[in-house]
Amino acid sequence: MSEFLLIFISAILVNNFVLKYFLGICPFIGVSDEVTASLNMGMAVTFVMTLTAPFVWLINTYILARFNLPFLEYVTDIIVIASLVQLVEMFIKKYSRGLYNTLGIYLPLITTNCAILFSALFLVLRNYNFIQSIIFGFGSGIGFTLAIVIMAGIREELEYADVPKPFKGAAITLLVAGLMALAFMGFAGMPSA
Amino acid sequence: MNTIILVAVLTMAGLGTFFALILAFFSKKFAVQDDPRVEEILAILPGVNCGACGVASCHLFAESLLANKVPINGCIPGGAEVAEKLSALLGVESEMPEKKVAVVHCGADANVRKLRARYQGVETCSAANMIAGGELACIYGCLGYGDCFDVCPFDAIRMIDGLPRIDLIKCTGCGKCVIACPRDIISLEPWDGSHPLVTVACNSLDKGKDVRKICPVGCIACKICEKLSPELFKVENNLARFNTPNLKEYDNWEKPLEKCPTNCIVKLSDKVPSLSK
Repeated sequence: MSEFLLIFISAILVNNFVLKYFLGICPFIGVSDEVTASLNMGMAVTFVMTLTAPFVWLINTYILARFNLPFLEYVTDIIVIASLVQLVEMFIKKYSRGLYNTLGIYLPLITTNCAILFSALFLVLRNYNFIQSIIFGFGSGIGFTLAIVIMAGIREELEYADVPKPFKGAAITLLVAGLMALAFMGFAGMPSA
Repeated sequence: MNTIILVAVLTMAGLGTFFALILAFFSKKFAVQDDPRVEEILAILPGVNCGACGVASCHLFAESLLANKVPINGCIPGGAEVAEKLSALLGVESEMPEKKVAVVHCGADANVRKLRARYQGVETCSAANMIAGGELACIYGCLGYGDCFDVCPFDAIRMIDGLPRIDLIKCTGCGKCVIACPRDIISLEPWDGSHPLVTVACNSLDKGKDVRKICPVGCIACKICEKLSPELFKVENNLARFNTPNLKEYDNWEKPLEKCPTNCIVKLSDKVPSLSK
């Protein structure tokens, strides 16, 4: 049990995808100007990551490893991710048209979100078992959500701040991202999986 | 070696089919019922996504129309025809929008333009205008790089001798060229074809003496037109303007046209009775 908790906490805080590995920066910058939208984006990513993990694990263990096809890993990962993103898109379009319009192009772009591909590759690299994979996928998604929501919260406040002209827009956003990454370095001493 | 390729291909094909089936199943299950009227409205709209109605695209206009957020005659390029069809489709009364056309207020083509410098930069009006106000001696005149021609979604503008000529039948009055022109030479004038279209083809606020030096066809504010036909022409700030609200008293326009010393009052079109139903 403590092993699962360790994987979970480590994926959220210690090895946060956005702030430690700098993965998934595109939506992290692109959809982080509003807390609600970024929360929804985070949830969509979490959903895809959590579902990707078991599929990838099953395909890797029972097909790729058995038939000695490790070179197909990237391709199969992409198939799984792309299909799941399609699924999420249909789901959101059906149940929340407003969210569908808010996320816009960033929704199909989850397909090319490197954080998701990375999480799929990572769980194979680390030899996680089935349950561990799911927990790792879920934790990574929560970590991404955490980072993007904090970022959105800061950016909402930044709207009212007197930012010097050369730093306005993307520049100050990247500075904030860097400072957040520094803050998350504080977790680096914690034991991680 | 061959078996590995075969197995790899089979694996990919199998996985692809598997996920395709899942997606097919869920696309049925999560199918979204779009309002069928959106498609019908889209079929009526011109579909050029010009943005003159105030929303970003024709699709958005159709949705906003159903949500009552835009007026039924909001489609400016579509004009009366589209408004009529839409009101027939939705059963809503519609006021017909006034038909407007774009009119160019400069008559100096490439043959008569005087230059004060040579410009070798990016060939757009907005770029040329930014560099110390462009290479033309006249700071009000048409630069002739055709920014208006580039943005026109209806193919209604032709550049002839460096001056935009507007096809008044094709022009829908969407106003894209008005926004594109960095010198505000183009304006939208109400015109429904029931009378000839006359305008003052000059935009210069310089004094008559200064205009004479740099342009043979500019308005010199001699006020002859105003004297001959005071209800139609008005001279203000060294520039004659055709007074469009007085279109009803539209008789006395031929004389000023003849008498204008620089010929800057021009007739752009005769009556087009087919336009005004």
